Amino acid sequence: MSISTPQPGGNRRPSVVAKPAAGAKPRADKSTGAKPTAGKTGKPGGSRPPIKPIKANTNRDWFPVALWTLVAVIALGIVGYGGWQVYQNGLSWQDRAAKIDGLVNYRKTEPDVTKPAQHAWGPLTYKQSPPVAGTHNYNWQNCMGDVYDAPIANEHAVHSMEHGAVWITYRPDLPKDQVEALAKKVRGNPYMLMSPYPGLDKPISVQTWGYQLKVDKASDKRIDEFIKALRQNASVEPGASCSQGITATGTTPHDLGKDQPGGTNQMGG
Amino acid sequence: MSSESVVADEIEAPADAAVNRRVSRRWLALLGVLLAVAAAYTGGYLTPALRAPGDHSPEAGFARDMSTHHAQAVDMAMMAYPKATLPEVRILAADIAMTQENQIGVMHTWLLNWHDSVNSLDPPMSWMPDGPEALHDGLMPGMATPQEMDKLRNATGKDVDILFCQLMLRHHLGGIHMVDGVLAVSHNQQVRDLATAMKTGQSGEVEVMHHLLDQLGAKPLS
Repeated sequence: MSISTPQPGGNRRPSVVAKPAAGAKPRADKSTGAKPTAGKTGKPGGSRPPIKPIKANTNRDWFPVALWTLVAVIALGIVGYGGWQVYQNGLSWQDRAAKIDGLVNYRKTEPDVTKPAQHAWGPLTYKQSPPVAGTHNYNWQNCMGDVYDAPIANEHAVHSMEHGAVWITYRPDLPKDQVEALAKKVRGNPYMLMSPYPGLDKPISVQTWGYQLKVDKASDKRIDEFIKALRQNASVEPGASCSQGITATGTTPHDLGKDQPGGTNQMGG
Repeated sequence: MSSESVVADEIEAPADAAVNRRVSRRWLALLGVLLAVAAAYTGGYLTPALRAPGDHSPEAGFARDMSTHHAQAVDMAMMAYPKATLPEVRILAADIAMTQENQIGVMHTWLLNWHDSVNSLDPPMSWMPDGPEALHDGLMPGMATPQEMDKLRNATGKDVDILFCQLMLRHHLGGIHMVDGVLAVSHNQQVRDLATAMKTGQSGEVEVMHHLLDQLGAKPLS
């Protein structure tokens, strides 16, 4: 490993640095400035056949260049893909939600409304229509992929949204095929529920705790984006359930259990 | 670059060139080591992200779909628990509800840790080779229809015991089918361990429910 040959000329610099000074003179003589690529062995240049420089000039070996370019491209690809993956994985559900065009984020505009809220019996009033958050009934509406064919009580639906459910509402005049298209997104999926909503200012409104999106058609892709970004994720009570809720329809809240202190909260009777 | 200069040196003075070559090799070796360290660090940094099951992986699909499947079992069990007549059925319902709710939490945590989406636009069961064909009306194998759920919700007396055992038995068989699906393809130990435990637990309960149905004078759903 040690440098065994002493050099009188003090030429012990790294070769990269030494290049211009050391190589200027002889290079002009021997190889006329062409890039010699064939320096394979440590033998003195004088012992080589005279034909060599010509070979180096005309027949440059592109293989290593191509090889290293390929390696570099693959390496960059791997690093790039990795970086892209990390970026994608780093996107929070809030980031994904923020990308949905037309989404209203009440958590920003109405932070007081969207704080974890209290329970109350009886009818309640909400600022938004349909509501997106706020004080709600003790009972939540069952949201195990339930498709309700009649309006339900806001007071229960808000509680479902607190548990992480996405509530799809539609104006009763929405064409049947669109209602069915919406129902397909709901049926069989926990943390989803759907009901008609008379007086809605748009044909369809999708909401969960603090977020709302109003669209004209069931085929609007933003509905899926809304569900993908927010279902369960937007819960302010992570892990809370959608089962054991109210399964009855009707816009007056069902104060189930209010008058049975100590009794079981028996649903669906 | 370096080969060029090596050649240039070598033309001037063979001995000098030999030294420079050694020096340049040292620099190259050092550079190589640095690059290797950088690559290893980057690799180590990225590996968890790259090795974690991706958003469309069978593991992520299993975690999402089994959570949905489990959630219905919990729902059924919570309906049967307070009103079944046989203590064996009530205890079984409580056991299933609590076990499966816990497993939902475990699977939810997987998705969060893998940085996968909790929700997917992929159709249910699309991570299984014959998955989409196994769906009926969008429901995964073994799942009860909304009408069947209503029936259990409104049942009373011995009907609760029978209906619960019938629906849960079929539900478990569907669940075991999904477990087999993920065990066939996944090498993720966490996933394999939980899936295997699900299979063992649910297979045992399938037997129990067969006995209970016998005892109740009823038959499993065909």
